[in-house]
Amino acid sequence: MQLHQVLVSASHGDAVTNSALHVRALLRQLGESEIYSLHMEPSLAGEVLPLSALSSRPGRERRRDVIIYHASIGQQSVFELVASVPERLVVFYHNISPVDAFSSYDPGFAKLLSDGRRQLRDLAPRTTLAIALSQFSAADMEKMGYQNVKVVPLPVDLLPLATVEPHQPTLNHLVNATGHPVVLFVGQLLPHKRPDLLVEAAYVLANEVAPGATTVLVGASRLPSYRAVLERFVADLPGSGVWLTGHVPVAELAAFYTGADVFCTMSEHEGFCAPLIEATSFGLPVVARPFGAVPETLSGSGVLLPPDAGPRLVAEVLARVGGDVNLGSAIAGHQAEAMSRFTLEQSQKMLMVQLEPLLA
Amino acid sequence: MPRPDGADSDEAAVPVPPGGSRSAAAPPLDAAPPSPPDMDALMAELRAKVQERTREGIYTGALDGSLAAHFRRLASAHEPRDLAPLWDKLRRLEDVGGLELGGVDLGSRLPGGPALHQTANRLLNRYIDNLKSVVSKVADLADAVADVAAELVEVVSDPMSHAHPELVGEVEAVVERLAEYESLPAGSPGAVAELARRVAALEAAESRRQFHPWFSNQRFEEEFRGAREELLERYRSLAGWFRGGPGTGPVLDIGCGRGELLEVMAELGIDARGVEMDEVLAAGCRSRGLHVSAGDGLAELARSEDGSLAGLVLVQVVEHLSAQQVLDLVLLAYDKVAPGGRVVVETVNPQSLYVYAHSFYLDPTHARPVHPAYLTFLFKEAGFSEVSIDWSSPPPATDMVLPPEAAPGNEREASNVDRLNRLLFAPQDYALVATRPATGPATRPATEPS
Repeated sequence: MQLHQVLVSASHGDAVTNSALHVRALLRQLGESEIYSLHMEPSLAGEVLPLSALSSRPGRERRRDVIIYHASIGQQSVFELVASVPERLVVFYHNISPVDAFSSYDPGFAKLLSDGRRQLRDLAPRTTLAIALSQFSAADMEKMGYQNVKVVPLPVDLLPLATVEPHQPTLNHLVNATGHPVVLFVGQLLPHKRPDLLVEAAYVLANEVAPGATTVLVGASRLPSYRAVLERFVADLPGSGVWLTGHVPVAELAAFYTGADVFCTMSEHEGFCAPLIEATSFGLPVVARPFGAVPETLSGSGVLLPPDAGPRLVAEVLARVGGDVNLGSAIAGHQAEAMSRFTLEQSQKMLMVQLEPLLA
Repeated sequence: MPRPDGADSDEAAVPVPPGGSRSAAAPPLDAAPPSPPDMDALMAELRAKVQERTREGIYTGALDGSLAAHFRRLASAHEPRDLAPLWDKLRRLEDVGGLELGGVDLGSRLPGGPALHQTANRLLNRYIDNLKSVVSKVADLADAVADVAAELVEVVSDPMSHAHPELVGEVEAVVERLAEYESLPAGSPGAVAELARRVAALEAAESRRQFHPWFSNQRFEEEFRGAREELLERYRSLAGWFRGGPGTGPVLDIGCGRGELLEVMAELGIDARGVEMDEVLAAGCRSRGLHVSAGDGLAELARSEDGSLAGLVLVQVVEHLSAQQVLDLVLLAYDKVAPGGRVVVETVNPQSLYVYAHSFYLDPTHARPVHPAYLTFLFKEAGFSEVSIDWSSPPPATDMVLPPEAAPGNEREASNVDRLNRLLFAPQDYALVATRPATGPATRPATEPS
């Protein structure tokens, strides 16, 4: 019996690809296991197989095998293939971003998202096992017709960040040259993550509460139209101390986590939110809004803002949590304890428990 | 002596050791669980603070909702125009009318009737054909007119669609800024003073932002700090001022650097603690058993209870501060030091021109020297008694201008050399020592800015 995984797209540093690689390492202890993907970065060729190779697998034993489909966006040809393979189907739901947030910026992308939800709904009847990264995502799956959804936290591998030497010039710059507190957001610059609200708070923070404070937003934006609006917004707010870095290599990310005073996300939709785990591993207190899986991942720790918090309140919270070392460490210490169950090993163990019945 | 500890910040700065990880500060997972901070209380406190500051007009006016509104404007300028309703209307036009051929019943029982009907039908159809081509042209025209009309209506109703979005954005920004100015409480000296204070803070922050060193403060100190013995000698003399203090609370050393002064005070049995902006230096102090926290010294001072300090000392710090921060420091010092307690401020002496050639500009974070007469004035105005100046670090005699050989007739030249030496080679540092009167008012005399 074999377990294989199917992705729409595979690229380095992508959370879905990373989790597929971690799952494969686990599955290979049991036997043969491959990752098949429709699109892939050229450097992953060999590591990841083209999706077309899946159909040409020898057919006799396929009914006994298992396909784990990582769902995060719609793709008609992948859906059709997954819907028709003879293998038993496991849907691993990474959550699909809300369509509404994207429709005005990129109708094409919004359509892919709504297609993704429709396709996922259609896959429900033939799915043997449904896995979500959080209770929040599990509830979403249940709305789409899945039953008995199992929750397995995202396998987050902290080792690369923990072992890399933080990029020294970046760190020196944060320590010596920027004003404090340094507020850090890590995540893609997409509408549902509400970086605009963080920029608003940064503007109030640097102008009214803690002069010279710095807010760093680390992460790529896959929507050029949204990035343009956000960049324009930042340019229109003089003295906001906002720094949009775009995507950065892991050594620079480690430097940002090391040099920051407080982590903040204003996101309104998260399937799990791995940066919360990363920030905690660097001893950073987290300030976040209570949406999506964020409260669940924080497990009662961190600072949850009221849902209606305006830029002034957010700025005051950031100034206090980022400026008071004792308070910051107490919050971060509580986070480390509350979130200690989110380890790569624990996630892999929980996944194995769920897959066990299929192996019999 | 340059001391690049960045002690010129008024923010709650928490620098992190280069190459070090904050994770070291987080408690190990097997330690006793820390009691979680009370977030509800924190949130309630900060909500109240926002309300209070809003009431007091501390925040810039016209901010409520205007940031979000501006973002929505920018975002809407990028939204593709929704043409669906227009297309619906145009499609409805297509359904209107339409003429069918062959409208005459061909069946007739009259002799020759069918032939007549056929002829009539042919004629009618020819008519209809002609009519249809006319109707089709009219319909085309109507389509075109409807199309143009729909576009026009849309363009007129939405300025974003025919004005360049960037231009609209600029106009909006100007309008917003004007609204801010209009909402300022005119003629309120408190508000103007508050604005001036904020501008000074922003300027200080901006000037720091412009300096981007890639070296560490520790390396800088190692390279340019004076010989340890010489330093200790100077510190012993400074520490002497805190012997036999009021006996309430510790002496606070703001910008304590590597903690040499704290060590000397410990040797003398003086209870002392330090604040250091650079976390690496602060951690180094703690590893040697000194009571040092990392952070912004002025903020730490402001947080201290009134009258809780036996003394306050700042060595080579005030030359890093803005003029406003020096003013604030003096008032804070009066409030926080117990009656009978001393404040010692050591800094470079701007009356020694030698300083400018040798040490002052060696440290790029030095903002401005503080004149001893001005500092004396400030401390006296703030209510301190017994304000005195202690000079130190004379330039080496070998650097001075040599007097002429003692000989009759050389007196004038000797006097000139002496004047020159006093101007050029005055002591490089001075320490202002001020004592808070033992029986003075509990808080400082009224010193509101005019």
